[in-house]
Amino acid sequence: MAQMPGTKHMTATPATRVLGAVALVAVLLMVLLGLVVSPADVVQGQAVRMLYLHVPSIWIAYGAFVLTSLSSALFLIRSRRRHDGGRHYDRLAGSAAEVGVVFTGITLATGMLWGRVTWGTYWQWDARLTTTVLLFVTYLGYLALRRLPADPMTRGRRTAVMALVSFVNVPIVHYSVDWWRTLHQKASLSVGRRPEITGEMYWTLLYSTLAVTIVASWLIVHRYRVIRLEELRDEEALEALIASRLKEDDVQA
Amino acid sequence: MSEVTTVATGWGLSFIVVVTYALWIVGRGKTVGRELGIGGQEELDPGSDSSMPADS
Repeated sequence: MAQMPGTKHMTATPATRVLGAVALVAVLLMVLLGLVVSPADVVQGQAVRMLYLHVPSIWIAYGAFVLTSLSSALFLIRSRRRHDGGRHYDRLAGSAAEVGVVFTGITLATGMLWGRVTWGTYWQWDARLTTTVLLFVTYLGYLALRRLPADPMTRGRRTAVMALVSFVNVPIVHYSVDWWRTLHQKASLSVGRRPEITGEMYWTLLYSTLAVTIVASWLIVHRYRVIRLEELRDEEALEALIASRLKEDDVQA
Repeated sequence: MSEVTTVATGWGLSFIVVVTYALWIVGRGKTVGRELGIGGQEELDPGSDSSMPADS
């Protein structure tokens, strides 16, 4: 039976258990800061607390899609050199994209709820919202492509190309509020621009981003390992099938 | 929908999504591990690419 150096849990190591514990504590502190410590906004009132989930979620999604694109590019480079090279980059791309889709979904859901109380509507087909939903659908398509049956290397190359094409939309989403007139406000924090928020709100937003990053890291690490397990299972099944066919041939001969 | 209800719904929904996804990942790992014949025993470290399966 195939077995590698063992740990007690299927996808966990001591390091990821520590990461999980840190993530749990970080989220509890984020809830405390976001829902209790940080003040209500003068204009938006309590609704401003959506900021601490909505903004970090899309930042994490951007980061996950950057990771997907970089891993995909490295996979394409490595797979040209060696037939079986760089599959760990493919796994990383797949796990990061899935986590990115989850956080894009959270961004859309929290944005719609926030929009209902601040704009009076759940949805408007403006530039930011439309490009974000396109991002969500495109990466859902990427995940669907990963599930199509194919040789792992062929599938890896197809999905890597799609990941690189899909990434084009990420800067469009981010800069849509600057390039077009939209209902959506401009970025709360942006490099080279004075922050739109200050004080406790500013620090709570930064801290929430850190906490969500830790959670996303835990998710990516574990998802990566599950993909690795699935590959091992598929390889084992294929080897068993080949062995069974060879046995049949021997009997017939 | 009041501001407080909106915030509670948004945060609650987000936590449900993330926790459900995390539990699905862990459950999926256990299921596939069992299919590989390593469930419930000392289990593998699938993060290690360099280690090829060895006879147990």
